[in-house]
Parts: sequence; C-alpha cells; structure tokens
Amino acid sequence: MKIDDIAEKTVSLAEKSGATQAEVYAVTVKTSSIYIDDGIPKIGGSMIEAGIGLKCIIGKQIGFTSSTLAQETPTDVVERAKALAKASNADPKFESLPDPKKASGSLDKFHDKETALADSELLMDKAMEVVKAASSNNVTVPNGSLRASSIHYHINNSLGVNTGSQGTLIFGFFTAKSEDNRNVGEGVQRCWSREIGAIDFGKIGEKLRAQALSVLKAKPFKQKWDDAVAILTPSEGSEIMYQLVAFAVSGENVNKRSSPWSDKMGEKVASENLTIYDNGLSEKGLLSSIVDDEGVPTQKTPILEHGVLQSYLFDSYNAYQVDMQPTGNGIRRTPRELAGRFSIAAVCAGTTMEIKPSSKSVEDLISEIKRGVYIEHFAYPLVDSMSGAFSNEVRNARIIRNGELGDQIKYALWVGNLFDSIKGDLQVANNLEVHDKKIVPSIAFPKTELVGQ
Amino acid sequence: MLDMMAKVIDDLSEKDVTFADIRQEFHASTQIMVVNGDLRRFSRATKGGTVVRALVGECWGMASTSETLSAEICRNLLTDAVKSAKANAKFSRKKLDFSEIKPIEKTIWQESKINPAQVSTEEKLDFVMALDKGQKTDDRIVNTNSVYNDAKRVYRLVNTAGSRLEWDELRTLAVVQPIARQGDKMHFDYDVKGGRVGYELIQQIDPDLFGAECSKGAIELLSAEKPPSGNMTVVVDGAISGLIAHEVCGHASEADEVVKGRSFLTGQVGKQLGTEHVTMVDDGTLKDVSGSFPFDSEGTPASRTMIIENGVFKGYLHTLETAILMGVNPTGNGRAQDYNRRIFARMTNTFFDKGHWKDDEIIADTKEGLYVIKAMSGMEDVVGGGVQCSALKGYIIKNGEATKLVRSMSLAGKVIDILKTVDAVGDELEFWGGTCGKGEEDFLSVSSGGPHMRAKMVVGGG
Repeated sequence: MKIDDIAEKTVSLAEKSGATQAEVYAVTVKTSSIYIDDGIPKIGGSMIEAGIGLKCIIGKQIGFTSSTLAQETPTDVVERAKALAKASNADPKFESLPDPKKASGSLDKFHDKETALADSELLMDKAMEVVKAASSNNVTVPNGSLRASSIHYHINNSLGVNTGSQGTLIFGFFTAKSEDNRNVGEGVQRCWSREIGAIDFGKIGEKLRAQALSVLKAKPFKQKWDDAVAILTPSEGSEIMYQLVAFAVSGENVNKRSSPWSDKMGEKVASENLTIYDNGLSEKGLLSSIVDDEGVPTQKTPILEHGVLQSYLFDSYNAYQVDMQPTGNGIRRTPRELAGRFSIAAVCAGTTMEIKPSSKSVEDLISEIKRGVYIEHFAYPLVDSMSGAFSNEVRNARIIRNGELGDQIKYALWVGNLFDSIKGDLQVANNLEVHDKKIVPSIAFPKTELVGQ
Repeated sequence: MLDMMAKVIDDLSEKDVTFADIRQEFHASTQIMVVNGDLRRFSRATKGGTVVRALVGECWGMASTSETLSAEICRNLLTDAVKSAKANAKFSRKKLDFSEIKPIEKTIWQESKINPAQVSTEEKLDFVMALDKGQKTDDRIVNTNSVYNDAKRVYRLVNTAGSRLEWDELRTLAVVQPIARQGDKMHFDYDVKGGRVGYELIQQIDPDLFGAECSKGAIELLSAEKPPSGNMTVVVDGAISGLIAHEVCGHASEADEVVKGRSFLTGQVGKQLGTEHVTMVDDGTLKDVSGSFPFDSEGTPASRTMIIENGVFKGYLHTLETAILMGVNPTGNGRAQDYNRRIFARMTNTFFDKGHWKDDEIIADTKEGLYVIKAMSGMEDVVGGGVQCSALKGYIIKNGEATKLVRSMSLAGKVIDILKTVDAVGDELEFWGGTCGKGEEDFLSVSSGGPHMRAKMVVGGG
C-alpha cells in the first residue's frame, strides 16, 4: 500500500474508533551507504525503512504511537494510540491539530533523482575519490562514511491536511591521519548536500590532506589570552550558533519559559552585523520541503535582523497556545538520520538556519584582528544554551597577530560566554557553507579567552 | 522465525562468502514527559527490522529492511549484502578466516522483578507527575521537566558458524531537569536514574526528594561564579572520572581503531601509562547497569576486559573481526545502534576501578584545586589522546575544603599526562547510564563510571 493511502486509512480508522482528531505521519526512507576503513571500502550497505506515527486525540487527551507495521496492523496501532489517549491527563494547552493550508511548489521540489538512485557502488567510487586525493606518503584515511538518502513522507489529519514532500540528502564524514617522525595529526572533513552532483569529492580529499598535514606543524599553546577574537570556520561556528539561537527562539522553550530570549521580542540581542533566518524553503537546505512534518507550509522566517529579535519559531501546538500561526517548524526529520523519525512526534525545531553573509572575505576578517585565533576544528563545539557559557578544546587552529595568520596551535581551550560575545563587535564573512541544518559563513567572535595548557 | 532465518543462512552457497549473519530486532518503548505540571508526551513506539551481513575477503555487505520478515525477504537481503560485499572486495587486501568462531545456541530472557508492561499507565503517570511536582520548590524554578522511559529490545541472530540465539534487553530510566531563573541569569541542573532493570528501579525513587535535590542544585547555580582557568589540581567525581575513562581510554581501546593504527593506544600493551592507582575496565556483564547485555550484535557473549591494571595497559575491546586480526578472543564489543547501522567495536560499561581513599579524605588532602562534579558531555580524541570533558559545576578547594561554587567548565589535557598524575582514587564506584556515539553518530546504550579521582588537568570555564 502507498504511504498516502496508509495515512488516510489510519486517520479514518482512528476517527471511527472515537478520536476527535487524528494525525498520521507515514514515511519511507531509502539509504545507501559506504564505510571507508583503513583506506578501503569496508562496508557497503542498503537500507529501506517504512513506518507511521499516529497522534490520537480524544478531547484534550493525546496519545502518540508509532510502528513499522512489520508485526501489527493499522488497527492494532489505532487501538494502542486510543488506549494511550484515554489513559492520559487532559492537556489544557492543546488547541487543535493544524488546519490545511496550500503549499507552494510540487512535492518533489527538493528531490534529486540522481541522489535518490545512488547505490553503494556509486558511493564507493565517490568515497574512493576522497581517499585517493587525501592519501600521500604520510597521510592515510582511516575512517570515512558516505550516505545517500531519499525520503517520502505524507501527513494526513482529521482537519483535512493531506499533503507531503519528498527529499534527498547526502552526507559524508572523513578523517585523515598524518604522521612524521615526531607527531601525529588528524584532519576532519564533512560534506552535506541535497544533490550528489554538487559535491566535489576530489576537493574534499585535498582539503582533508592539507588539514591533516597542517596539524603536524601545530605547537601546544601555552599562554592565556583574556581578550581574543576567534574566527570560527562554518562547520564549527554554525554548530554553536545553532545551539544558542535555535534554543532561544523555539516557541516551545519560550512558552515554557526556559528560553533566555522569552521576553526580548523586538530587543537588540546581538550585533547589528548578525541577521539570521529560519528558512524551510532554503535552496540548499537539507530539510527543505514544501510542508513541515505536520503538513504546515514551510516559510522563510526572520529571526534576527541586524541583531534585533524578530520572531520565534512555532509548531502548531505552541503557536495556538499564544494565538499565533505555526511557522512551519513542526519537525521530526534530522539531516543526520532520516531513519526512525516516524517514532517521534513533531517537535518545535528549526528547519535551515541561514546567517546572512557580508561582503567581507575571511582574509578581510583576519586582516582586522590584532590578536586572535582562527579555529578550524574543535573536539566538538558546544555551548550552554541557557547561560551562553562555553569552553571548547581546540584541535586545529592558527594564531592571528596584527592581521596575519601565524603559528599553527593545538591543546588550547576557547572559553567565553556566547550571549556576551555576539553582542560585541561580531563580524561575518561571505563564505557560506552547508553544515547539517545550517548555512553559515565564517564568523569572528569578540570578547573570548584562549587558555593554553 | 529462528528456524526460517537459519535455513536461509544454511542454504547460502556463495563460495566467496566466508561468513554471514542475519539479525532480527524488535523494539518497543514507552515515554512519558511532563513539562511544568502538564503531560506533554505519552507515547509508545514500536519498530522491527532485519539486517543481513556477508563477508567477502576483508569487506562486508549489509542490507536491512523494516518489512515483515519472510524467507523470501531474508534471501533478498542476503543477495543484496553479497552483491555489496563483492563490489567492495575489489579493494580487499586479505582474506579473513572466521572458521574458528564457536557456535552458540542459547535463549536468554531478562529477568526483572517488575515488568514495566505489567504496571498500569496510571501508576507511571502518577510517578512522572510527582517527579515534576517535586521540582517546584521555589518561585525561581521557572520550568520543570520530567521523563520516564522504558525500552525493550528483542533480538534473534543466526550465523554461518552455526549460532542460533534469542535474547532481550530491558532498560528503564527517569530524568529530572529543573530550570532556575533570576533576572537575566538562567541555569539548569539534571539528575538521571536508569539501568538494565525493570520498574523496580522506579519504585525505589522518592520523587519529592529526587526532584527537590535537583532544583536546589539549579537555584544554587544562579549565584555560582565563573571557574578559574589554567592547569591545576582537580578532584573529579565518579561521573567525570567515568567520562574521562569512556571518552579517551575507552574509545582509543576499541580495537577497530587499533588494527588500522589510528588509536594512540596502538602497540601499548604492557606499557606503564599511568600511576599504580589507575585501573580501568570495560564490563558488559555487570548486573543492572545500562551498558550490559547477554550478547553483542554479532552474538558474542558480553565479557569483562581489563584495559589498564595498576597503570599498565592490558588490552583492547574486540569484534569478531578485530579479534581474528589480532589473534585473541572476541570480547563481546561488536555492537550496532540498530538494524540500520553497522557493527563495530564499542564499549559497554567502562570505568576506572576503585582505590582506597574516602571521598572526603581526597578533598581534605588537597591544598588548592577544583572539585568538579556533574558530567555534561565529552568527545574522544583517538588519534591525539586528548581529553575534552565538560561539567556542570564544581567547588574551589582551599586548604582541604570545598568552598565557592563555580559553574560550567571543561577539563582538557593529554590523557597520558593526566593518568601519570593520578595520586588518589576513592573507594566508592558510581555508574551513570547514557548513550554513546562514535564518530558523531551510531548511538547506543552504555554506562561509564568510577570513583572520585585526583589528577592535574587544564580547566577552562565559560
């Protein structure tokens, strides 16, 4: 049975069974993969998964259940959801599932046929292009993975939502190890796209090799700088900015009062150089789709304009509580893992965070810095979304002195408070890159510390 | 079902395939989440799937589906897996000999005192509501979050060595996370109780106490100061010593990273890496702890592996393949997130073993330093042997006393340097269950733990 038929049938069964409202998210995900191990394609894989998530509402009592339907029928699933709803306490904050609204564009607007058809043998060829370009006398590629996924989802609810979307995405992660007589180093490169044809795999390999070799020259940083500007490459800066901003503008966090920006609408919360959108229709966004995972049409929502807070993001549950309309941010999918997402009810989350680039190049940003650091890679970039505090281990970076890149360093902690830093003289470059749910350029963060070991 | 799967494996006639297995999984979980006193989520998720692996040369093919399992589907998966393995094997440099793998035929169903499936939904709901209420101790607590989760997984596995296995894993978990706010300052605290146990774990929790203690922690953090930065003497609690064990020594001891020479612990067996106070273990057989299981995803029984003993490095964590490559026995560390993901070497319950100090004696014996508690997250550095562990809070130690409360910090350093400075280890072990990823994904249930421990590390406070 087709997924739209399963969705429609299950909603109908739930209504007949006594649900006052019901919603079904039905999805099929196909993934091909290749894992590189010690420079060769070690595992080739293919995966297909289909499942449904059912929200059954009786008055204001809500039950949610999900199934791959491998060992049970839609009727079993409906009975379980109904039992959960009946056992639930009424949720006074629940108003309604979303109403149907017309989405613009065809359901395959963000679907790339070539990516959808990529099998593990094609991925093997692409991944080996990376390995070949990265390998040299003293550089090996011990680890890598490359995945191509296609998704088709359909949402049906009792209010007449009957819509869906198709999408594709490709994700790669490669590490290179460099070695000389005294040192070892590691390079890490990721690639993200909706279209396999848009990725230059040879170039990724070259970058991987160059990064791994540059780490060999790194010396432990032994000083303590109390006021340093840090330029973060898009892969690192996008991660900490998303952790901070997506948490603060989530309608769910605003409603439950855990957002630090819950009472700051219209206020200046960041530098005037910072303009951020959540764009569910982003041309290069990995979660771009004509509707979100509740069937609400997606949109481009301004979050910050020149540092001033413009809007929060809402799924239907959180929007209706405060007499707002949902902004197309009821999300189940993640770019990392499309499989298994039917088992999670839609939550209020970002689609694609776009930071508006400036006209300045990264070199321009570097030239304006008297003392700072250019950071290519952290152990893993993290920030406390509530307090803004961060303390991240630098694995690959270069010192900036008097507007020029200097020595390669390692073993340092980059420390500060991100809420304070983004209010300062923050600078944004023009080199946009796609990373996970973000399309972000390099960013120079002021008022931070660099602590050596 | 096991007979049908076994027949498909027995019928495999591909000469190039030297090993193959079929694993079928069924997952069912219940989650209840209460936010600010309201039931936010009440869900029951089920999913099932089957994965087939085939080995040609040193390369694997893998195919999985969530379709209802039949002999035909099993055969199709096997055909796809063999095709992928053969394609990769063009690059194969050697042939792996799996012929010595011993077959096991066993069924192990987990015994729990109280099966969560037999507990009424009303009782579970009342518990989570009480957890949430327990956190609301002060007007400064602006947001309360409470979660209950039980998850059961049933596995069936057959392989070409002749193994026929069935087992299950049941885990239960309760979490509280209150958020305190005063002016522009916001801080959270959290607490978790979980394990590979039934509902008896939940019945041992006093929800008022559990919630209130955590809220006290969040409120105290509102007046916490920024910690000092730099190289200093640090006393860590068991959660953070466990995090260090897990992230650095643990991941680097996973033998898939060793056979290709990526791990900084390659070739270190027999070498003195730390002081005599340092003993580190991975043990998938521990009773009631989250990372325990009867068999790994390849059907190897879980075991206890000594990684470091009195400072001397002893051995690695193995899959079937890495054990064959290194000429040792597999240790039951070949694990996969689920039927959609690959198997590779992973940890179970990883911890520094206990020493002889009382926890308060370690603090009293420290003239100046930082007492760091409540682990947040960490990241491995398999190549370089570095540490990044972040913690929620700590206390400045002055003249043997824990004094001022400080918040949000990371601990860093080279693990080899840190282990050589360990000079005091507590006599009480604690374990924290959670999930672990490798290379940023492939999340599965583990625990890490240890005693209080004193060493020199770099601290950076945000």
